[in-house]
Amino acid sequence: MSGEKAGAVDPDAYSDVWVFVEEHAGDVMTVSWELLGEARGLADDLGEDLVALVIGEDVDEVAREAVERGADRALVADDPVFEPYRADPYGEQFRALVEDRHPAVVLIGGTHTGRDFAGRVAVPAHAGLTADCTELGVDDDGLLEARRPAFGGNVLATIVCEDHRPQMATVRPGVFAAADRDPDRDGETEQVDVVVDERDTLSEVRERVVGDTADITEADRIVAVGGGCDGDLAPAEELADALDAELAASRKAVDEGWVDGSRQVGQTGKTVRPELYVAVGISGAVQHVEGMNDSEVVVAVNDDPNAPIFEHADYGVVGDLFEVCPALAERLREDGLVDADAEPEAKP
Amino acid sequence: MTTDPTIVVGVKQVPDDDEVRIDPDTGHLDRASAPAVLNPPDRDALEAALSLRDAAGGTVVAVTMGPPTATDVLEEAVAMGCDDAALITDRAFAGSDTWPTSLTLAAAAESLGADVFVCGEETTDSSTGQVPPGIAAHLGWAQVTYAEALEPEFDDGRLVARRDVEGGYEIVAADLPVVVAVAYGEFEPRPAGLHRKLYAETEFEPLELSAEDIGLDDGEVGIGASPTEVGGMETVEPVERERETVEDAAELADALADAGVVG
Ligand SMILES: Cc1cc2nc3c(=O)[nH]c(=O)nc-3n(C[C@H](O)[C@H](O)[C@H](O)COP(=O)(O)OP(=O)(O)OC[C@H]3O[C@@H](n4cnc5c(N)ncnc54)[C@H](O)[C@@H]3O)c2cc1C
Repeated sequence: MSGEKAGAVDPDAYSDVWVFVEEHAGDVMTVSWELLGEARGLADDLGEDLVALVIGEDVDEVAREAVERGADRALVADDPVFEPYRADPYGEQFRALVEDRHPAVVLIGGTHTGRDFAGRVAVPAHAGLTADCTELGVDDDGLLEARRPAFGGNVLATIVCEDHRPQMATVRPGVFAAADRDPDRDGETEQVDVVVDERDTLSEVRERVVGDTADITEADRIVAVGGGCDGDLAPAEELADALDAELAASRKAVDEGWVDGSRQVGQTGKTVRPELYVAVGISGAVQHVEGMNDSEVVVAVNDDPNAPIFEHADYGVVGDLFEVCPALAERLREDGLVDADAEPEAKP
Repeated sequence: MTTDPTIVVGVKQVPDDDEVRIDPDTGHLDRASAPAVLNPPDRDALEAALSLRDAAGGTVVAVTMGPPTATDVLEEAVAMGCDDAALITDRAFAGSDTWPTSLTLAAAAESLGADVFVCGEETTDSSTGQVPPGIAAHLGWAQVTYAEALEPEFDDGRLVARRDVEGGYEIVAADLPVVVAVAYGEFEPRPAGLHRKLYAETEFEPLELSAEDIGLDDGEVGIGASPTEVGGMETVEPVERERETVEDAAELADALADAGVVG
């Protein structure tokens, strides 16, 4: 076994770039469109087709939209067994398609769903799977270069897979721009054989409750709350109103149930890049900073002068957020720095 | 169905996040600078496994794949209340990425007769979250990731879980055997008892298993079986921030106006 890796394959037998389009009851996760936009460039660089993979029930329109957003082809596995999402039927269907059609690259959004089943495809294929990439590229040999932050964002590691196919990666939501829709774009959609039978599934979803799936990645201004808020979001919400900002949160605030998970910023949440990011009662753990470090101007309000967040802020106020936030909101309105008459935003 | 379930819980030793230093010249992690600790999400996994046992009986076995020094985290697991622990250790494992790592843990789970394999959602040193689904894929088992609450319905051959999804949650009933990755921050870890601690440190010896012991060939594991390679590491320049401390809200409003983000 000198030099050659266990389970290596002939890379030339694999072609095309696949993007998994994640859909739940008709709603598509934005990261899928972000991936199509980024993958369009990769496919062009490689001189290959961009293929959207759509798994679900009644997903013709989703498949059509994938074509309008840049896919050359959409493969559609349409069956009640796929609604709602479950790891084993999705993984099994995806695995069978990969085995059958030999894609060179497979990209999946780094959502809970994507991270849940990507391994169920990569393991049987003996494929390399890079987690939560923030940059994608192609090297001179046509190999996918998947880049991801490591060690709290201090290092960017490039991961390649030379001898195994497909080259798989999950990609962080919010890092790429979503592909625009062009209703005139041509492309085919193909219904594929469904290889999954309900009787063989290993799990059952008894209930699925999904409410707020806010897209904080598009916001120009963000007020983010953390553990320091202690369950009382009113001061931060007042500030967000004054600034016409979206409310976001650290994981602590999400875990405590104060704010919905779709508003979480960080390594396991979203990557945001607003003009203004106000961190209210957030300590500044590496996992949080990773998601907000691309913000233009960062403000921190924290009563602990040694909180790490101040290292990552342009302006810091050492003080009690319950005093500082309302005072700042008032001051901004008084000084006419924000539109004082603006209708308060509906509370998230 | 399962009367005396074996609950195996995977734990890993990682460098302490708060203490990690990056070598400024190479951009690589200076492992010597950081003390090794139990991966924080794994403490939640231990709690989840122990409360499953509290509710349904059976035994909890902590398992780690790592060098002999990783016994420290097994001692912690036993101090917390695990009935037994196994160290999966072999030079052949060196350089494993998530593919052979999940194969190794899958083989360990089988060797130990696991009905449920509980993990933390990810490790703080590699943060891929890929190992739990990988284990399930190697074994062909059901899986539940981002589990926030667990309800054993072992008599009916099921584990019911609430799992976190974007914007909400779902209730999933998964067939046994099953791999569960628990969401970090959802299971408040119990403190280690004094007696258990003493026992773990003085009397307890973990089971030690090699690749061969769990039925794996050297060629199936380690760097040779790892599809991914690190092609390069670049140090990311920290974002330049003003790091200006202002006195109060009034000064902050002025600063924001000067910076051009309001007004
Ligand atoms: C695998 C893994 C993944 C993770 N992913 C993420 C992620 O995606 N996003 C994320 O955010 N975290 C993530 N974390 C968690 C992270 O490590 C921290 O635990 C979390 O960010 C802490 O949140 P916090 O700073 O809001 O809360 P705390 O740590 O509780 O800090 C609260 C801060 O508020 C200050 N404070 C308290 N009271 C007041 C007051 N009255 N006025 C002003 N300030 C006050 C305190 O001084 C403190 O600095 C992850 C952790 C792990 C292990």
